[in-house]
Amino acid sequence: MSTLIIGLSLSFLLFLLSAGLTLIFGMLGVINFAHGALYMLGAYVSYQIVQITGSFWLGLLFAPLIVAALGALIEIVALKRVYSRDHIFQLLLTFGLILVIDDATKLIWGFDYKQVPTPEMLTAPVALFGSQIPSYRLFVIAFGALVSLGLFLLLDRSKWGMIIRAASSDADMARTLGIDVNQVRTGVFALGSFLAALGGAITAPLVPIELGMGFSVIIDCFVVVIIGGLGNIRGAIFASLLLGMTRAVGFTYATEWVELLTFALLIGTLMFRPEGLFSYKGRSA
Amino acid sequence: MKRRNFLKNAGTAALVTTLPAPLVRAATPDDFHIAAILSFSGAYGLIGNDMRKGAEQAVAERGGTVLGKPIRFSWEDDETKPQPAVQKASRLLGEGAQMIFGAVSSASTLALQSLSTQRKVPHLVTISADDAITKRDGAPYSFRTSNTLGMEINMSMEFVKSRGLKKIYAVTADYQATRSGFERFEELAKEAGVEIVGNDFAPLGNRDYSVIIDKMIRSDADGIAVMATGNDGITFVKQAGQVDLGKDKVIFGPVLQDDIFAAATGPAALGVNSGVRYHYSVDNPTNNAFVAAYREQHGEMPSSFAGEAYDGLRWWLDVVEQSDSWDVETWVEAFANSVHETSVEGRKEMRACDHQAAQVGLWGEVVKGEAPLPELTMKINEIFPADRLFDAC
Amino acid sequence: MTRRTVGQTLMAVIIAAMIAIPFFLPGEQWVNLVSLILIWALFAIGFDLVFGVTGMLSFGHAALLGSGGYALTVLTLSYQVGFLPALLAAAVMGALLAFCMGLFALRVSGLFFALLTLALAQMVYILASNKLRALTGGVDGIPGVPRPDLFGINFYDNRNYYAFIVVVFLIGLAVMALLRASPFGRALRAVQANDTRASQLGHNVHALRQSAFVVSGAYAGISGGLLASLMFYISPQMLHWATSGDVMIMTVLGGKGTLLGPILGVAVFELLKEELSQVTQYWYGILGLIFILATIFLRNGIAGLFHGPDDQDQGGAS
Repeated sequence: MSTLIIGLSLSFLLFLLSAGLTLIFGMLGVINFAHGALYMLGAYVSYQIVQITGSFWLGLLFAPLIVAALGALIEIVALKRVYSRDHIFQLLLTFGLILVIDDATKLIWGFDYKQVPTPEMLTAPVALFGSQIPSYRLFVIAFGALVSLGLFLLLDRSKWGMIIRAASSDADMARTLGIDVNQVRTGVFALGSFLAALGGAITAPLVPIELGMGFSVIIDCFVVVIIGGLGNIRGAIFASLLLGMTRAVGFTYATEWVELLTFALLIGTLMFRPEGLFSYKGRSA
Repeated sequence: MKRRNFLKNAGTAALVTTLPAPLVRAATPDDFHIAAILSFSGAYGLIGNDMRKGAEQAVAERGGTVLGKPIRFSWEDDETKPQPAVQKASRLLGEGAQMIFGAVSSASTLALQSLSTQRKVPHLVTISADDAITKRDGAPYSFRTSNTLGMEINMSMEFVKSRGLKKIYAVTADYQATRSGFERFEELAKEAGVEIVGNDFAPLGNRDYSVIIDKMIRSDADGIAVMATGNDGITFVKQAGQVDLGKDKVIFGPVLQDDIFAAATGPAALGVNSGVRYHYSVDNPTNNAFVAAYREQHGEMPSSFAGEAYDGLRWWLDVVEQSDSWDVETWVEAFANSVHETSVEGRKEMRACDHQAAQVGLWGEVVKGEAPLPELTMKINEIFPADRLFDAC
Repeated sequence: MTRRTVGQTLMAVIIAAMIAIPFFLPGEQWVNLVSLILIWALFAIGFDLVFGVTGMLSFGHAALLGSGGYALTVLTLSYQVGFLPALLAAAVMGALLAFCMGLFALRVSGLFFALLTLALAQMVYILASNKLRALTGGVDGIPGVPRPDLFGINFYDNRNYYAFIVVVFLIGLAVMALLRASPFGRALRAVQANDTRASQLGHNVHALRQSAFVVSGAYAGISGGLLASLMFYISPQMLHWATSGDVMIMTVLGGKGTLLGPILGVAVFELLKEELSQVTQYWYGILGLIFILATIFLRNGIAGLFHGPDDQDQGGAS
């Protein structure tokens, strides 16, 4: 039973980590390789805010906002120029961004490990199902569920979501309707960066904050995004659940095989349903 | 098997060679050039910087010279990857460097080792702990002055015995060195009548131990052995702290914590036990002088990386100085049979059979520190004598 | 067309000069650097047959490179196979793995092809890092990869080994030039331009893609073998997806779809890396900035500077 709860927390962490990537792909058609770097930056900025204010919650709120602003800047200065070209150029550009962001982080914060302590009110474990569950994990589940609901409402139900979808499916049509497509794109990239940094800030109390952390999550994010269907938020939620639960069960019974299991899942998906397990055909990408 | 083949190949190559590199080097050069291949970026970026500080201290202390010539370092970054390590070392050896110092990760060090064997250039290792680096009759020009994982595993079992732990649950990084470390630990446990109630191999670079930790809580183990280091070890201890795993189970590991790792782990590190490569608190004249000079220079306590780098290089340069020769074979012969009486850790003795320095083992626990110490610091509780940690040569 | 010819001649001259430098300059620095460049260049021109000529973005070439390296290493060290047969086996191994990956990956196209090759290669990486450690030496890799043992020449001398690399490289380059100019090469280009039309014209598109991938795998395999031997060492790092990213960057930087462009791309990449890393600790960031600028402003890579603005390798071997 405790495995189930932990599996849920793994799932929502995966979702928070990958939501931004799938959003940017779905709406802009860009594979953002720098997603991991933005995630890392989120963790570092939240560390800095915690250092200054002593509050984890302020870090969780402001780190994503700061990184979102940076994302908007990146979009305006660089990415905007290569939309019209082949996917490969966007990929290459974001690849270059990884190197720049990584070294900028090194320049600002140095080499040494940083750490964000678990927020005071979430340090005590909760006795559940004959085991001890960290209350921070329970918080991650609740927070992840909230964010996924919020994203779903924003993209599928709100006027903003409609504008974003219109701009992504037919930019010319959207323009004639008076939508500023450029601004929408900047906004979407900023939102994607926001989500990446949110993932970083929420992971900060769980892992050491160091320069390699972005590199290590990007493959996980790809796995979720591909299984869920490129650019499909609902699919990403399901894929996170599938992967998180698979991992929880895998770590319980066959720890050594978890990594391979993940890839088997991925390759199976790509071969038999390349559009993703949960995508509705023709919906996106 | 593999290595023997290589030595055979390298040997044949040396016989037919038309350009004997060592002879060229035997003439007195203008300086003593050290090819320092360390990690200044990548997973071990932090370690390279600290090693550099320690190594520079060792050189500064002797007025920057050896054999009457200035010592010149070429600092190169291997990005914590073997290919750049070999690439950069090859370039420096081509420029006539007299020795290789490094690397940090065992993978890079093993790669440099084959270069050192092939080019007949001395190679000093002061941090990589993989037992394979100092195999019996292994690389003839490589030396390690720091700990091996094997001796740290032995210390872990000594600790289990002295704490009276009876049931151990282990987590082991899925990596050759840590896997064989665990096997060794298992054997020792059997001899000591300690039960291993569980072990999970977690992927190297794993970021989530929650399921494994959950299994540990539900087990009846009284000790948790963590056969992992660096990020993996920190992540484990951090996440274990969120369920107070250490409250009624003792968490320990061969290289689980030191002052740097504790700072990265936070309060969850308190009470965790670990083998320590070097510690500034060791009380002897050499170490006290080193720590004082290091603090004056850098405003902080030397880390284990800085301390080991200082100690190894100081020992090596002393031997070179005493050899009064520029002949590589003379240095290697002398170093293989040398004893470092005034090491920062006490006494170190180079073993001629495997080029591994026999030395005492430090074992400590993370405690709260008072200024000028860091907030979390290692308290050295035990110093194990070398003969309990090393098999006879 | 004149400008194109002049540009290509100029590129060829630059590359020839680069190859010649180590023969004339003393010191080993250039020998080592150009050795590395030529091996990677061989890898890149093979990669470009899939990427630039056939139009498939493979993100799995690291696995092909590494499999060749491991084939050579294991055969020479554990089975005492001679260097040349082992190098041949490395090519076969790369081609074989490419064939197997193709069986899976060629079911899909476009971006999905990139992602599926990435996933497959990453799986090979994980297998080599742990489950196959008895064969691969695990994360620590295998030290002591030998050099060739031929004609009584000591290839442990880097200058002699350099000459060996140059010979292999020139053969590889010539074969690739012929391939690209052949009907096979033209058919591949037709597939890139419009695969539906190509199949209407009677080309077997799937078989063409598969063949291109296999040839590319053979190039990668040989490069991997040479690289392991140059370094005396191999580890799963060679199989990591970042290696696939590197070869892609080099190729795009140099100019995809051209024969000589990728070679220049590799040279500039390695030279920048070598020089910048001696100047600053933050060389990776600067390299990143250069890539970003090149992506935005150098549409056709370095080769585009030589070819003029209209380029995209319209036919014939460049």
